[in-house]
Amino acid sequence: MFFHIILERNMQLHPRYFGRNLRENLAAKLMKDVEGTCSGRHGFVVAITGIENIGKGLIRDGTGFVTFPVKYQCVVFRPFKGEILEAVVTMVNKMGFFAEAGPVQIFVSNHLIPDDMEFQSGDMPNYTTSDGSVKIQKDCEVRLKIIGTRVDATEIFCIGTIKDDFLGVINDPATV
Amino acid sequence: MSLQADSPVHSSSSDDFAAYLDAELDSKSSESSPKSREEEVDEEEEEEEEEEEEKVAQVELCDLESKRIKRFKAEISENLEDPEGSTSHRALELNLEASSSKEACTHPGSFGDMCIVCGQRLNEESGVTFGYIHKGLRLGNDEIVRLRNTDMKNLLRHRKLYLVLDLDHTLLNSTLLIHITSEEEYLKSQTDSFEDVSKGSLFMLDSMPMMTKLRPFVRTFLKEASKMFEMYIYTMGDRPYALEMAKLLDPKKEYFSAKVISRDDGTQRHQKGLDVVLGQESAVLILDDTENAWTKHKDNLILMERYHFFGSSCRQFGFNCKSLSELKSDESDSDGALASVLKVLTRIHHMFFDELTTNLEARDVRQVLKTVRKDVLKGCKIVFSRVFPTQFQADNHYLWRMAENLGAICSKELDSSVTHVVSTDAGTEKSRWALKNEKFLVHPQWIEAANFLWEKQPEHKFSVNQTKKE
Repeated sequence: MFFHIILERNMQLHPRYFGRNLRENLAAKLMKDVEGTCSGRHGFVVAITGIENIGKGLIRDGTGFVTFPVKYQCVVFRPFKGEILEAVVTMVNKMGFFAEAGPVQIFVSNHLIPDDMEFQSGDMPNYTTSDGSVKIQKDCEVRLKIIGTRVDATEIFCIGTIKDDFLGVINDPATV
Repeated sequence: MSLQADSPVHSSSSDDFAAYLDAELDSKSSESSPKSREEEVDEEEEEEEEEEEEKVAQVELCDLESKRIKRFKAEISENLEDPEGSTSHRALELNLEASSSKEACTHPGSFGDMCIVCGQRLNEESGVTFGYIHKGLRLGNDEIVRLRNTDMKNLLRHRKLYLVLDLDHTLLNSTLLIHITSEEEYLKSQTDSFEDVSKGSLFMLDSMPMMTKLRPFVRTFLKEASKMFEMYIYTMGDRPYALEMAKLLDPKKEYFSAKVISRDDGTQRHQKGLDVVLGQESAVLILDDTENAWTKHKDNLILMERYHFFGSSCRQFGFNCKSLSELKSDESDSDGALASVLKVLTRIHHMFFDELTTNLEARDVRQVLKTVRKDVLKGCKIVFSRVFPTQFQADNHYLWRMAENLGAICSKELDSSVTHVVSTDAGTEKSRWALKNEKFLVHPQWIEAANFLWEKQPEHKFSVNQTKKE
């Protein structure tokens, strides 16, 4: 799920950046530092949309670095347990398949793929129903339910399932 | 929620919403939430102010939870006075435990430390890592066995077996750019471009920095072998190298997608093992130039003659001769080592699927391999002369064993049924006997060549040099 929220961060800036461009420098550094990172609570920071407020800087003893409390608006993406998500299949193998939703890596094991779908190996490995009407292969879009999440410093791992009503392939680029 | 609204420090309402959602979704799923929330708190240390708040909220939550439990316990203790009801309550309690651990999932494997079936966080690291398939994937032993079994059926239905391929000296030869000798400098101007990898065979990898030469015939080999086998790459090189080589061998990713195993993935140091290969051992063939790497799986191994294209690789193995590159030549395309091995593979595949009459699942490719090997020197009776040191137990010598594995009969005594005398010296008594009785007198390399090429070699090519004596 995406959220547009306000977060706060203490930024340390080297004195050489002081001057009339101070604010721009702070903003640039903030983007570099924060965009693309993850936190367990907020998930993946997709983009910073604006700076809300830059507080008073505090000089640190000994180093000359200045710490600014910066409040900024950003878009974050955070998967939740129980959430239904649409994702693109990146790899299919006999253990199940891997899918991606932006920065989130999702694994759906073959225990959580409906029993009537069977693994077919070959150049384009896939899971197919016995009548061949539904096929999960690389680059397919699937709708899945998340049953477990874990957030690292730069990555989010999820376990998903498609063994439920209304889950599974929603669009197969190969057949379009 | 009211608590959070009161807080003066807090600035964003969407943040509360996130927390609220989190709690909602967590409480909906059957696992109890306090534990996972605690973990989450541990993870973040950046936003300290917010954390404090969360703790307050969490305490509230915990309180709620404990109240619920207390109430439940109270009910139990009330009913405990009733002697008959106690057993039913025991059952109830057990039920509660069971439902909280999600019907006792066996956790067959994990992805990013979460169980792949129930999504629960797992703390202990168990099972074998399958990093070559996807980062963070681990599978337990039972699951591996299960996968191997299901996969085996699938594979046999497609009339395929597994083939594990080594890279260096088997499919290609690489050298560091700094090890290129002056005689090999000319190669730098002959490298093929990366625009059409599938046509070239000599590549310069500036990022490594290395130069790689693919073995002649390798493209045809892979194409043909892929029809009969599901192929893995298994190399002692590191992963970036292995992936780079896979790109050269398989630019279209037809053969080796997610089947490239490097030394980073193995379970033992300096050893290759089939435990990370998701295939049943009775259906795996291995192509490698180093026998010692596969101590546990010698029966699956087809030993390859080493491919030394670059001078540095020759010297690494202690040969002081000119390398192929220095001689500006190469292995033959049509009957080099790979071509002859492909013939053997085709034969084994044919025997496995078409000649054996036993139940398909009971067949063992190791047995087939042995049978095919036994045909190579069938009908030969070999006597060794001055090949083994005097005090050496002759039937323990590797040449003796090699000859026997190839189907020859080895003997210590001369008699009329002997067909070949193997010696390095034409002057020994047995050698002279061979010449006198018109038996073949061959160099020990004759056996080795037959072993690598899977064919009895013409004896005259391996005649023992007699000029020294005369």
